[in-house]
Amino acid sequence: MALLETTNVVKKFGGLIAVNRVSFQLDAGRIISIIGPNGAGKTTFFNTLTGIYHPEEGRIIFNGKSLHKLRPDQIASRGISRTFQNIRLFGNMSVIENILVGMHVHLKQSPIDTLFHLPFFKKEEKESERKALELMTYVGLKGVGNELARNLPYGGQRRLEIARALAAAPLMLLLDEPAAGMNPQETEDIIRLFRRIRDEKGITILLIEHDMRVVMNISEWICVMDHGEKIAEGTPQEIRSDSRVIEAYLGRGAVAGQHEEKIA
Amino acid sequence: MKRFLKSINIPELIRPLGQLVFFSLGTTIVLSAIVLVFALILDRTVVGQTLFERLNVSLFTYTLINLPQVAIDGLTIGFVYAAIALGYTMVYGVLEFINFAHSEIFAVGAFVGVEILIALDRFGILAGASLVMAYVYLILAIVGGMLAAGGLAVAVERVAYRPLRHASRLVPLISAIGVSFLLQDAIRLVESLTTGQFNRIFPTFGNFDRRVILGKMALGTTNITLGVSIKSIIVIVSAVLMLVALNYLVNATKVGKAIRAVAQDHPTASLMGIDVNRIISLTFLVGGMLGGAAGVLYALKFTRIDAFVGFFPGLKAFTAAVLGGIGNMTGALLGGIVLGMLETYAGSYMGVFTMGAAGTEYKDIFAFSILILVLIFRPQGLMGANVAQKA
Amino acid sequence: MIPHFFKDIITRLEQGIYPHIIILAHMVLGTALVYTSPRSNLAFLVLITSFFTLYYFKTDRRFKLIVGAVLTLFIFPVVGVRNIFYLEVIFQISVFAALALGLNIVVGFAGLLDLGYVAFYAVGAYLWAFFGSQQFYVLPFAPGTQPSNLPFLLPGDAFYLFMFIAILIAAITGILLGTPVLRLRGDYLAIVTLGFGEVIRVLANNLDKPLNFTNGPQGITPIQRPTMPLAAVDGFNALFGGLVGHDVSPADMYNVMFYLLALGVIIVIVFVTRRLDDSKIGRAWTAIREDETAAIAMGVPLVRMKLAAFAVGASFAGVMGVLLAGSRTFISPESFSFMQSIGVLSMVILGGSGSIPGVILGAATVTILNLQVLQGLSLYLSQLRQSDAVIPIINFAWANLSNQLDPAKYQRLLFGLILILMMIFRPEGLIPSQRRKRELAHDEDDNGK
Ligand SMILES: Nc1ncnc2c1ncn2[C@@H]1O[C@H](COP(=O)(O)OP(=O)(O)OP(=O)(O)O)[C@@H](O)[C@H]1O
Ligand SMILES: [Mg+2]
Repeated sequence: MALLETTNVVKKFGGLIAVNRVSFQLDAGRIISIIGPNGAGKTTFFNTLTGIYHPEEGRIIFNGKSLHKLRPDQIASRGISRTFQNIRLFGNMSVIENILVGMHVHLKQSPIDTLFHLPFFKKEEKESERKALELMTYVGLKGVGNELARNLPYGGQRRLEIARALAAAPLMLLLDEPAAGMNPQETEDIIRLFRRIRDEKGITILLIEHDMRVVMNISEWICVMDHGEKIAEGTPQEIRSDSRVIEAYLGRGAVAGQHEEKIA
Repeated sequence: MKRFLKSINIPELIRPLGQLVFFSLGTTIVLSAIVLVFALILDRTVVGQTLFERLNVSLFTYTLINLPQVAIDGLTIGFVYAAIALGYTMVYGVLEFINFAHSEIFAVGAFVGVEILIALDRFGILAGASLVMAYVYLILAIVGGMLAAGGLAVAVERVAYRPLRHASRLVPLISAIGVSFLLQDAIRLVESLTTGQFNRIFPTFGNFDRRVILGKMALGTTNITLGVSIKSIIVIVSAVLMLVALNYLVNATKVGKAIRAVAQDHPTASLMGIDVNRIISLTFLVGGMLGGAAGVLYALKFTRIDAFVGFFPGLKAFTAAVLGGIGNMTGALLGGIVLGMLETYAGSYMGVFTMGAAGTEYKDIFAFSILILVLIFRPQGLMGANVAQKA
Repeated sequence: MIPHFFKDIITRLEQGIYPHIIILAHMVLGTALVYTSPRSNLAFLVLITSFFTLYYFKTDRRFKLIVGAVLTLFIFPVVGVRNIFYLEVIFQISVFAALALGLNIVVGFAGLLDLGYVAFYAVGAYLWAFFGSQQFYVLPFAPGTQPSNLPFLLPGDAFYLFMFIAILIAAITGILLGTPVLRLRGDYLAIVTLGFGEVIRVLANNLDKPLNFTNGPQGITPIQRPTMPLAAVDGFNALFGGLVGHDVSPADMYNVMFYLLALGVIIVIVFVTRRLDDSKIGRAWTAIREDETAAIAMGVPLVRMKLAAFAVGASFAGVMGVLLAGSRTFISPESFSFMQSIGVLSMVILGGSGSIPGVILGAATVTILNLQVLQGLSLYLSQLRQSDAVIPIINFAWANLSNQLDPAKYQRLLFGLILILMMIFRPEGLIPSQRRKRELAHDEDDNGK
């Protein structure tokens, strides 16, 4: 059974149809990419999946249950975790605290435990701190636990966002342009990290990416959006030679220029 | 001359007039109908009986007799709210920021206008003025209030808001609250150093206190006269003139186009060669001038002002802006009229309808309740489009 | 060279035994000054700033606790009963510190700008004002028409019980008011809370009919105080009588008691705040403040966490309200104006929102500016008016200065300036908040390799 299944999802902003009848299936344990020119509606599609926007039409079934009208925090506790296109860390919190916020839905400490520092509170805090440190090492952040998130270098912030998302122990991880602004070495590292997350933790990964090196390298399946619609999907080989896809990118004048070379 | 006439965009002059008439009439009819229905229902209850014993009229007649006056009062204050609300809405349009100090800009306008008149009065100029000159002096006071308030608004933006433009949303708001408090005491300080009086009275001159009789009407045993005070007419006419002028400025001139472009998107506007800072200053100037004029008109209508005179009108005008859909200028007009009417109707009839348990004293709360209800159930307001926050 | 030299001295002073000596010296000096010249504002300032030295210099916790306790529990009461004005200043500082700390939870931690915070203060105050006075029997009478020999509803000792009830009632009020509006965006929320503050004040003003709950603008009086055990007065006199120089009356002793109660509330607030800050709840609050969208996407239930902040903040204001009603024995709607809310806000902003020591410093500074500097200026001006002094260059006689110019009444100017200047030049406040540094054992190990 598919882990995620959307049927005819529509999201409009006034007159603009940002996501137009997108139907889409995602099996557990896979790595899938969504690509498409700027403004195609990819981020908006993510936002409807995570409950930041409610779609006007269509159904979203995750792990066998409908996500209809759920709030983002409820969806997060159902096992969908995400990163943002423009990094959204809690800048004035330390690195470790950012990760601890990611664990929010799993922490059971009550206000009474907290106020009186009952044994359960201490145990849980210690345990979650240990897990957070593990996650830091896992994504390749070391020795910066007490650093404020906003003081991390760009690459570190991207990694921290991933660690924070992993802290929620999700079933599915949504990554919005995770490799944007990274140099080739960093890009390679991060691709390896995604593979490990899938292979070792069994987390399904859905990512939006413009960088075709990443997309073609890592995706097992690619879904292409343009003007809010899904215009094609298939394996990387199929997408590479799909005429509609090439048209979508090439027919876009100046904006598409950058993608042109990447897709070739 | 012909060229000039041709360059005027007539529809843009007529459209807002039509809107104003439509909004005013619509609100009056709806609200009047509602209170009349209430009166009819309550007439049969103890409320009606009590009133009958006291005044010897039925509740329905009582309500009907008072309606014209209530409607005109509501309209007058509604136009004042609309003029202030435009200041909030324009600034919100370009900066997405609640200019909390706008209420004190309004107050400063009122003070400057009233001080000009008091000064004229002191030299005995007002007392002997002919009717024409009385109007000239009134216009002088309004213009003075406009200039002072407009200039102050621009200065406040430069000093207290511009350095904070890229900070998080609450930072400029807190600064604006600070400005509001500072200005209240600044007014008091200036008054205490110069005149030593905190309450200023709008001098009596001209024919502003006279009433124009529109007609007489017999209702059962009572004869009622329908009249409008000249004050109210002045307030309404000047507000309408300003609103039409503002609409023209924003919708039919090049500067207006620039304002709308900046409201859409700062970076794009500046790419198109628009000096964003200048347009923002201009927005504050125009909004401040409207607020200042509204201040003088408010003083004309209610006579007495003090340093805190801006607080409630300001909050209510903000409510009006939100009610109409903040950022939307037509919305501010509609919101101002609706709120002014609602408040006046409620203030006039609630006391009678509840047999004195709750009356005018809850008028101010009434506006807040509307604000809260609108924000909860229709945050985009009556005329605003639904804009979601970007993720 | 010279700056270096000073830096060296300062570094040296921050080490070893020196901090202890400096702190003690400051405290002793302040006490001695106030003791010898009990009317001098300056002497009092020296004493009260010894808290700052205590905070600034690093010493061990035990030393800080002991010195803090000596200052607050011994020196302040004694100095206070010698000059009742000081006691008033100290009491007001503690009341406002408690209020500011409560507001700090809402503004500083959760990032919700609450402009109607005194509404909850009013709820607590009117709660005890109603139950701790004759008001219950005044219900059927319009203000001013009640017979004079009405009984009190509850004994004064119920005051203590009501401090706890107020926590509950204020928290419930917070939840009731907050539930519909906490999903609003920050700037709208600010205006709506302002509205709530005004609504509560207007209600207090007008709920004298149809039933007389609040006695309208005249306010409620007399409100009972808890009984003061004679033993406490005698004990205090026996212990400190020699130091004070005269016997303390029960009336003065009440002031000391209310000051100590306020201090107790502060300690509880600081304790609760610190514990919460360092837990799932506090982290969720900070996350919301930093980025709501990211927080909710990470599973933080926005409205519930905001409500929690609102309720906790409200409950502390509620307790302080009861305390106010008890200590003043009179309350009226005037004490709960928008200006009060902004006053408390300016304390939080001045000190540093989210920072406990900052907020206390803010409360102390603003209160002292209010009570001592502005009022001092007023006094000075009225003296000048009476003299025949003249401002030299412009040749203006002070005597001609308008009587309306009374600096003590320019609190808004003060609050306004604080808010504007802090936002422009130091939005993080005088003592910015700091995230706790965790001891991350094996994080550092990794670093070392
Ligand atoms: N909150 C919003 N309000 C109005 N329009 C929006 C909003 N969010 C997105 N849009 C519009 O919806 C369309 C799709 O935007 P979206 O951000 O989903 O594109 P995208 O595929 O992620 O593009 P990019 O590659 O640039 O990130 C765009 O035209 C955008 O302007
Ligand atoms: Mg995107």
